[in-house]
Amino acid sequence: MRTLIKSTLFLLFLLPMSFFAQNTVSGTVTESATGLPIPGANVIVKGTTNGTTTDFDGNYTLGDISEGDVLSFSFLGFATQEVPYDGQSNLSIALEEDASALEEVLVIGYGSVNKKDATGAVQQVSSEDFNKGPIQTAGQLLTGKVPGVTVTSGGGAPGEGETINIRGQGSLSLNSSPLIVVDGIPLSNDNVGGSRNPLDFINPNDIESMTILKDASSTAIYGSRAANGVIMITTKKGKGNEFKFNFSTSTTVYTPTEYVDVMDGDQFRDLINDIGTDAAIARLGNANTNWQKEIYNTSFGSEHNFSTTGRIGDFMPVRASLGYTDQDGILRGDNFTRSTASVNLRPSFFDSSLRVEMNARGMYTENTFANRDAIGSSVDFDPTHPVFDENSPFGGYFTWLNADNVQINLAPTNPVALLKFKDDTSEVRRFIGNAKVDYDLFFLPELTATVNVGLDKSDSNGRVFTSEQMPSTALDWNGAYTSYSNESTNRLFDAYLTYDNDFDLHSVNAVAGYSYQSFEDYRYSYDSEAREDGLDYEFVDKWKSVLLSYFGRFNYNYDNRYLLTATLRADASSKLNPNDRWGYFPSFALAWNINNESFLESSSAVNQLKLRLGYGEIGNVNGLGDYKFLTSYTGSRSDANYLFGDRYYQTYRPSALNENLRWEVGRNYNAGLDYGFFNNRIFGSLNLYLKETKDLISFVTVDPFTNFSNAIEKNIGDMENRGVEFDITVVPVEKEDFRWSIGYNISYNENEITSLPDEVQVGDISGGTGNTIQLHKEGYSPFSYWVLKQVYDDNGRPIEGAYVDRNGDDQINDDDKYLYKDPYADINMGLNTNLNYKNWDLAVVTRANLGNYAYNNMASSRAYETRATENSILRNLHTDYYDAGFVATTENNLVSDYYIQDASFFKLDNITLGYTLPELFEGSSLRIYGSALNVLTVTDYEGLDPEIDRGIDNNFYPRPRTFAIGANLNF
Amino acid sequence: MNFIKKMILIVPACFIVSCHADLDQDPIDPDSFTETNVFANAQEAKGALAKLYASLALTGQQGPAGDADITGIDEGTSQYSRMLYSLNELTTDNAVVGWGDPGLPNLHAMNWGASNDFTTGMYYRLAQEVSFCNSFISNAENLGSDPEVQAYIAEARFLRAFAYYNLIDLYANVPLVTEVSTSLPEQSDREEIFNFVESELLAIQENLKSSGANEYGRVDEVAAWALLSKLYLNAESWIGQDRYSDAVTFSQQAINSTYSINTNDANGNGSAYDELFLADNNSNGAQNEFIFAINFDGNQSKTYGGTTFLVHASIGGSMDASEFGVNGGWEGLRATKALVNQFDYAVTATDEDGNPIEWEDERAMFYTDGQSLEINTIPNTFTDGYAVTKFKNVDSEGNAGSDQAGDFVDTDLPLIRLAEVYLNYAEASLRGGGGDLATATGYINELRERAFGDDSGNITSADLTLDFILDERARELYWEGQRRTDLIRFGLFTSGSYLWPFKGGTRGGIAVEDYRRLFPLPSNLLTVNPNLEQNDGY
Repeated sequence: MRTLIKSTLFLLFLLPMSFFAQNTVSGTVTESATGLPIPGANVIVKGTTNGTTTDFDGNYTLGDISEGDVLSFSFLGFATQEVPYDGQSNLSIALEEDASALEEVLVIGYGSVNKKDATGAVQQVSSEDFNKGPIQTAGQLLTGKVPGVTVTSGGGAPGEGETINIRGQGSLSLNSSPLIVVDGIPLSNDNVGGSRNPLDFINPNDIESMTILKDASSTAIYGSRAANGVIMITTKKGKGNEFKFNFSTSTTVYTPTEYVDVMDGDQFRDLINDIGTDAAIARLGNANTNWQKEIYNTSFGSEHNFSTTGRIGDFMPVRASLGYTDQDGILRGDNFTRSTASVNLRPSFFDSSLRVEMNARGMYTENTFANRDAIGSSVDFDPTHPVFDENSPFGGYFTWLNADNVQINLAPTNPVALLKFKDDTSEVRRFIGNAKVDYDLFFLPELTATVNVGLDKSDSNGRVFTSEQMPSTALDWNGAYTSYSNESTNRLFDAYLTYDNDFDLHSVNAVAGYSYQSFEDYRYSYDSEAREDGLDYEFVDKWKSVLLSYFGRFNYNYDNRYLLTATLRADASSKLNPNDRWGYFPSFALAWNINNESFLESSSAVNQLKLRLGYGEIGNVNGLGDYKFLTSYTGSRSDANYLFGDRYYQTYRPSALNENLRWEVGRNYNAGLDYGFFNNRIFGSLNLYLKETKDLISFVTVDPFTNFSNAIEKNIGDMENRGVEFDITVVPVEKEDFRWSIGYNISYNENEITSLPDEVQVGDISGGTGNTIQLHKEGYSPFSYWVLKQVYDDNGRPIEGAYVDRNGDDQINDDDKYLYKDPYADINMGLNTNLNYKNWDLAVVTRANLGNYAYNNMASSRAYETRATENSILRNLHTDYYDAGFVATTENNLVSDYYIQDASFFKLDNITLGYTLPELFEGSSLRIYGSALNVLTVTDYEGLDPEIDRGIDNNFYPRPRTFAIGANLNF
Repeated sequence: MNFIKKMILIVPACFIVSCHADLDQDPIDPDSFTETNVFANAQEAKGALAKLYASLALTGQQGPAGDADITGIDEGTSQYSRMLYSLNELTTDNAVVGWGDPGLPNLHAMNWGASNDFTTGMYYRLAQEVSFCNSFISNAENLGSDPEVQAYIAEARFLRAFAYYNLIDLYANVPLVTEVSTSLPEQSDREEIFNFVESELLAIQENLKSSGANEYGRVDEVAAWALLSKLYLNAESWIGQDRYSDAVTFSQQAINSTYSINTNDANGNGSAYDELFLADNNSNGAQNEFIFAINFDGNQSKTYGGTTFLVHASIGGSMDASEFGVNGGWEGLRATKALVNQFDYAVTATDEDGNPIEWEDERAMFYTDGQSLEINTIPNTFTDGYAVTKFKNVDSEGNAGSDQAGDFVDTDLPLIRLAEVYLNYAEASLRGGGGDLATATGYINELRERAFGDDSGNITSADLTLDFILDERARELYWEGQRRTDLIRFGLFTSGSYLWPFKGGTRGGIAVEDYRRLFPLPSNLLTVNPNLEQNDGY
């Protein structure tokens, strides 16, 4: 960018001298790969300040040139070409794309920076580096690619959401997901109702690049929302002269891979005959039903995308795309369809001094949510009974009935009936658009004014219809209908000035601006059963918040050797107490391009060696709630009213007082080294970071004598995330028809609560009522498991009810629990390789997590002998019963460290093999490919899948193994 | 052209200036109210008064759960009477529970720690009730001298005194807070709280409505007298003061009020005792005995605690839930044989093993079919121990309650009923508080006649001993949240001189340390409020 601006400036200053011209040369600069013209390319006479830039058609004319001069043609992202001038009047050049990542332009907040000038820990993954194959969500594009960034899907459902964490778990009770910024619009942190994934709305095929801002020196420009890092999504833009088209299509098969280990019919019959009372034995059936196989099936999906890019008139590049995805889940009946459309327009006016960019993106998804209750009940359901029972009043599905011919209370419901009789659908519409205007001020062209106006609006409707044939415990059961709708509107207005100028060896880039963002939500729901009971049956929730900010950034570069960045953001949120609602978030960074020092300048081995140091303060505003500083009262719903005389009164509860709630503030230190050797055949970076979060918000005890609750959100704790990240890319072979690259990244991260006066129990589990397995405690990782230490016999079998009496008081209670392990991996690794040979391409992505532990709640809550026969029904047992042989579901058994298991894993995530047929017909290329996803998992973990966000393995929707074939046609 | 160029700068500048005011947002949610709405007038304020009662009956602003008052504990579990049952019945010879809920098995085993969900949850609920009452009282005082408002305030003061009565029973040494303030309070001792409760109850007699004059669900002056009778009865046990004559006085005053023992056998099954615990106990005659009750409704006042808990949790094994007006059992609560044995004097039939299955005393409401009298295993084994059929969601006609689905129960739950005051009178009298032994015997026989349907179970004055009273309290009041306090008053809760199945966590029962007469203050709270000192032993 700087080069471009610099040359433009040269041009402006030097134009008056052009009457000295001796010769004039003109020509066109194009991309060698596509033949498309390159507008804005620099053409300079080497060693002079004489130069120009190409116009929109890639044409240039340069005068004042003599034979023997060397013309230098350059453009960001392309290798510079130098051509001696020998008097020709026409000189057209095709520039090769530069494989070197160094020329990459990184998208940062409110601007962009050349990678070699970047001072922060910023990593950009662009479309060519994205994970390949049948990708449904933006998060999947990144999985395993960037050190310090973990992307964990919530499960195997189609379109399922992901938890993205940058540099560890940064908060206790707040959302620790990064801020997502799409084309300059920071998204709301509230989920869109009826949607599976907040990032659903964007078609991965429309994404040009995703930039991860990891350290505070790069994120601080987003102030109070930046503590968990920022992901900048840049969508594809219109480019080129002629219209080009792309059509891609793929078909995908999803297969279930593993099932929870439960007893089969015969094993279960043996067990009951052995331990059961006569009454229990009499309940046995003769069947051998594998309930899990009844609810999962192989499913299919397909995806079609169409896009075009070109230019309208001579001033408006345009890109438009359409996408359609239709995917079934492996849980029978699950379906996700998505239609997307997008348009990008980039007209410019007044000799390009006024540049406009407009993005409009529309998404429509239809969801059919299969009833996930079937997942747990398929594990519980007695395998000796068949799916159907002709005597059942519930649609002929086998049901545990009581004397009233309704389902026995506490009995699991027939999983197949659960899928069959619940119809849960939603539609979500979302529009996200922005218009951005850049204007180079006529009186001072180094100064650019930018206004960006954005709108993110979503609208969803959903309904759940439960048939009267669904087995139910209710005596008056006649089915149920609930519906809901949500409307969210997020408005953005940004205005800022950018000043960019060079003075000899000094160059300066400064940004100052203002941002206003409002978030409005309206939620409605309807409940037919409440209506039947004569209660209120329509519910409305509404809230609105405003975030108002000023920000500034100053970049200084001395001789391309010493770089300095300073930023400041001031944020005010309507969520906070008016007397205390402004927060200030500064950052500083220094970088030293060692490779530009004289002692390395001549080295051909070192292309880049940059040392970076950064410090910044950033906030986490997520989940603060609204108006908590006001004294308000909550009215009771009509099913929680209270009788006086013969009338039910709505009651009013004073809300807990919470005047001083503030955002969490992180102090973030980062030291990094970027390197590139041997003409960038080896490159990568190393980062060390320390993130100290102060004023951590935790839901902690207050004395209820002094408040209206026993716990409130309070800024009370401190936390540290420490780690090292390293990544390296090696290109062992780089030839015209053979390129092989290997990327490896590794990160080590520790999370530690460094101060927390009050311990907080978290991590709800299944088994008993209200049990939890995790604890936030000072000196430990958040979400550490809080468990009793199991005692084992000589054969290594756990002894039921025998735990280490850690405090020696001859009693086993909470005081004997200890903190043991946590769900976060100490080490995350990614290894991927890309191989291009002639027309073949192969990409393999693998990942490993080490040191993450999971709580096997499927075993801990379902492997007890008494559970098989209690409640006058039969329940299947987890086969862990054969190992542990526990009898009773006691609270102590549930919280035994026996169930905390090492869930380290290695996964072969993605193999994609493609073949490109060039010139299928004139000007076209066709690539066909096959992919396999979730190919292999290597782990010692005994549950279904070791990769569980937050570590509690309970009723997990299994991730399918996926095979896809697809074709991609350019013409 | 220049116009456009200038507007590009000017429009944003105007916008920026005008947007600062947008930072002041007011709640727009329709379920959110401010003080001006809630205390607009006496009629509106009644909703705030209703919350003071509802916070003992329900668990939050959404039924049955979803917007809890108390956090850190399962919402259904956090209901006042469910926790009272857990702390005062499950810790005793009256009951066991088979569930593995956090902290629950520790109660009967008598090895709870200072972070036990039930001991902490109850403390929080009661302290919160004090704060709710304090807030109500100060806001309502601004509403003027309307006599209805004066009654509201007196009721709020009664409920605050009731919360403190519970707090000194369970925890003894708690802060005395009478105004809303965020500053951390000092700890008071048991005697200070005792004196506060006493003085409050004495003071509000005048402002509470007179006996029987208030609407159903709200307390009148008799509630203050009855609570004083309970307070004085325990004065020696709690603060070492002999106040038995005061106990007799206020018991007598309550007994002489418009309240009466229910003798209406509305369902015609031969006893008027079971009517007290039926779905229509707000209208079948039982209401005349309820000095202070909390109200439930299967549709409009839903909770997983209260009588919904007592009915469902008591059902299991081969019991037919529809006879109880609900759709099924939760298979949790059973009686120990110590409770069953209280009725040994009235057994009329036994099974082949010689275990009792029928009794003359109709208060012995046990389900024995498929249940073993002896408990071998507590967890997950509903059939170990007799089940209790005392609480039902059917009315006197046998019809199920109003929730057609059979989930939530209509039955109201008496917290203080006149029969207890009869027993208080007799005990205080026996302990030297004056009164009249023959009158006391008459009161006891009134209860026995109701239990037997005739005078065949009547006693003589000579039979009336303190031991008899303790047993009679078990027979009359079991599972109503009184037992622990009674055993402590009689010195039997922790000692080895009275053992029951699984007392102290061992099958035959063992003595436990005396400090277990009090529950611990929540350990979390000690960090929050350094003024607090933990009870001995914890």
